[in-house]
Amino acid sequence: MTVEARALAVSLGGKPVLQEVDLDLRPGELLGLVGPNGAGKTTLLRLLAGLLPPASGSLRYDGESPRALGRQELARRIAYLAQGGDTAWPLSAEAVVGLGRLPHRRPFAGPSRADAAAVERALEACDAAPFRDRPLGTLSGGERRRVLLARALAVEAPYLLADEPLAGLDPLHQIEVMELLRRTARRGAGVVVVLHDLTLAARFCDRLALIDRGRLVAEGAPAEVLDDERLAAVFGVTAFRGRHDGEPLLLPWRAYSSG
Amino acid sequence: MRRLRARRRPAGALRAAMLAGAVAWALPAQDGAAAGRPARIVSLNMCTDELVLRLADRDRIASVTWLSRDPRNANMAEAARAVGVNHGLVEEVLADRPDLVVAGAYTTRPAVALLRRTGVPVHEFGVPRSIAEMRAQITEMAALLGEEARGARLVAGIDARLAAIAARRPAGHPRAVVLRPNGFTVGRGSLVDEILTAAGLDNLAADLGIESYGQIALETVALSKAQMLILNDTPGGRPSLASEVLHHPLIGKLGARLKLVALPSRLWTCAGPSVLDAIDLLAGAAGKTR
Amino acid sequence: MRRAGLRPPLMPLPLLLALLGLALLAVFALSVAVGYAPLDLGAAFRDLLAGRESLPALVLRELRLPRAILGALVGFSLGLSGAALQGLLRNPLAEPGVIGVSSTAAFGAVLAFYSGLSASVALALPLGGIAGAVLATLLLFILLGRGAGTTTLILAGVALNSFAGAATSLALNLAPNPYAALEIVFWLMGSLADRSLDHVLLALPLMLVGWALLLSTAPALDALTLGEDTAASLGVDLTWLRVRLIGGTALAVGSAVAVAGAIGFVGLVVPHLLRPAVANRPGRLLLASGFGGAILVLLADTALRLAPIRPELKLGVVTALIGAPFLFSLVDRMRREAR
Repeated sequence: MTVEARALAVSLGGKPVLQEVDLDLRPGELLGLVGPNGAGKTTLLRLLAGLLPPASGSLRYDGESPRALGRQELARRIAYLAQGGDTAWPLSAEAVVGLGRLPHRRPFAGPSRADAAAVERALEACDAAPFRDRPLGTLSGGERRRVLLARALAVEAPYLLADEPLAGLDPLHQIEVMELLRRTARRGAGVVVVLHDLTLAARFCDRLALIDRGRLVAEGAPAEVLDDERLAAVFGVTAFRGRHDGEPLLLPWRAYSSG
Repeated sequence: MRRLRARRRPAGALRAAMLAGAVAWALPAQDGAAAGRPARIVSLNMCTDELVLRLADRDRIASVTWLSRDPRNANMAEAARAVGVNHGLVEEVLADRPDLVVAGAYTTRPAVALLRRTGVPVHEFGVPRSIAEMRAQITEMAALLGEEARGARLVAGIDARLAAIAARRPAGHPRAVVLRPNGFTVGRGSLVDEILTAAGLDNLAADLGIESYGQIALETVALSKAQMLILNDTPGGRPSLASEVLHHPLIGKLGARLKLVALPSRLWTCAGPSVLDAIDLLAGAAGKTR
Repeated sequence: MRRAGLRPPLMPLPLLLALLGLALLAVFALSVAVGYAPLDLGAAFRDLLAGRESLPALVLRELRLPRAILGALVGFSLGLSGAALQGLLRNPLAEPGVIGVSSTAAFGAVLAFYSGLSASVALALPLGGIAGAVLATLLLFILLGRGAGTTTLILAGVALNSFAGAATSLALNLAPNPYAALEIVFWLMGSLADRSLDHVLLALPLMLVGWALLLSTAPALDALTLGEDTAASLGVDLTWLRVRLIGGTALAVGSAVAVAGAIGFVGLVVPHLLRPAVANRPGRLLLASGFGGAILVLLADTALRLAPIRPELKLGVVTALIGAPFLFSLVDRMRREAR
């Protein structure tokens, strides 16, 4: 499935948050949304997930508008992983992951065998099976995040949109989650991730989209998008570049001072 | 003006004791009670209203309570509308410049105390629990108002009607139960109990051991072996939950088994001559019950 | 890799519902058996089934059965709507009594009853209750937005309860019938005494619609556990969910209050007690809470008839005696967990 956004614009509370955003999502690709705080990354992600109607512009899923597609179908095609990670009630990890199958449930029907299988796959993929029966509140931050990611994977949707899935995770889990997202993309899903960490973005993402002050400033391969000029202009930093183990290494190093 | 002593019927010891009790029960008026005929009478209680309206001339009544003006609740409504009205408030009463205030035992205590302190003669009347007490109260009120003759006539009329009813009373005592709003009934030792007896009925609630006023469950009413169910309500009344129980579908269905009699509350709310109308009505219904 | 960690004692939902259903039948039978006068139940049932209108059959059909049926219906409505409100507001303190829906429903019903409107149009009574309940739920959603913080929720409930109580008292004082002013106790505390089949038939149809609306929200409430955005991404129509919840609560609670007065705390206690049995799933809790509420109300109503207290206790008094300490302990626990 292709997702095409053209000239998207949205205002929140009267203020324009996004303007003139053109973006395509492709299956099998890990796309990173990067940019400074308040740039509009989360808003863009929510727009792409169909959670927010654009004020102007068009959004097409395989050529169809969200309304034509319908809520249920859209839910089956796009899995969304929100920021934060609190559940209102202390459900077990397995139950939480099971919620990801709701878009596939027929009305008045319980979970099917296909649902159970999908839940298993998701739990295994995120290595969350050991604590499947434990309530979410008793898990550590990293474990909880993995369970929520498993919930998003359980949808088995062609697209996975994740909003800052690494927030608050320790280094090991940050790397594990990024590797998991890359594997998911390799398996054929289109994955879009909002990231703050430029190092991880440059290393793992196939493509980057740089958002600054509501506009899509650059889009393409990480090396092109995060060149020195952009790093200085948008982030106000200089970086150390290199390679390690065959992967690109980008390390923001110092504040940029002109002259 | 000389007071005419009311002629008393030859009284047995019991009667004398009851009369004495009734008189003693009605609390004595304060020193400074009006001697002679009071000319500006204020009544603070619907039942004393009725007696005052029956016994005194209109131009001697300063005011009666607003409750007496409602024909649904009061027996002398028309007469009440011809005199002044009060709402039981001390200021209103004082503005009427009364030389006699009659109140009921349930008139608010602070109001009575305040009136007494201002030197107004206040006379309180209790709630009669028997026909004898009722007659005594009429006599006492008549003496207070200086209308002994009228009082005697009223009492004589009551006695005459009672005798007439007793004479026509058929043998046999149908069992009856009274149902009032909120599921209340009337038991032993109340005026209504005596009314039922005078009408030739056997009060079921008294048999069940209920004293004075108590509640009775609809179930009990249905499963008792009553032959008559007396529904005590205000006709044409506005909606209230209290009267809903009197319209419960079960009562309608019981109509096949026992006689349903609707008795307007106003007939026996106050102990006055209207009580005889109630006895009449019930005696008539009892006669039709076999 | 095999399962590590504890396996919680999860009862399959059908088994839980079957157990609750059996318990409900038992308590229903108990409620019918308890009365004010000795009744030969066997004879009464036989006569009833044979169509004979004997006295025992009449008492059974016109007094005991309506009281028990109404108790079950009212309890089901209160338990169900409590669970639904807690699921939507994601707060275990939400329930129609605490947040003020019941008392506003009582106000609406009082207006319909004492104005004489329901004397001419019988349906006006439950509709009045429903209108009051709709007012409260709408007000609450406007005030609280979505996902209510506990303090705001409780404050809104206090405000609504105070207003509705005062307005009801005023309406009763202005009512033409002098008994009315004393009847506030019924409306604010509830009672099943002397109810008839008429009351059952009056409340039932709209309650059923309300139940259907509320029960249909089960999957959406499950999804809402993860927050509004995630729920929307799972296909939940949030607006339609709120409409169903407001409408369903108003219909169920409004009808119940109109015929039985405002009975509180049922929707608070029952979901809390049953939540562990459904592994905290808000969707599964709905039907279970309905049955639980019916059981609780019938037990309370039976208990107050057995208690040697006259005049008879109001039903809302009994549920408040159970529920208020419960609420207290809930608040205390939330306070400790927040630290």
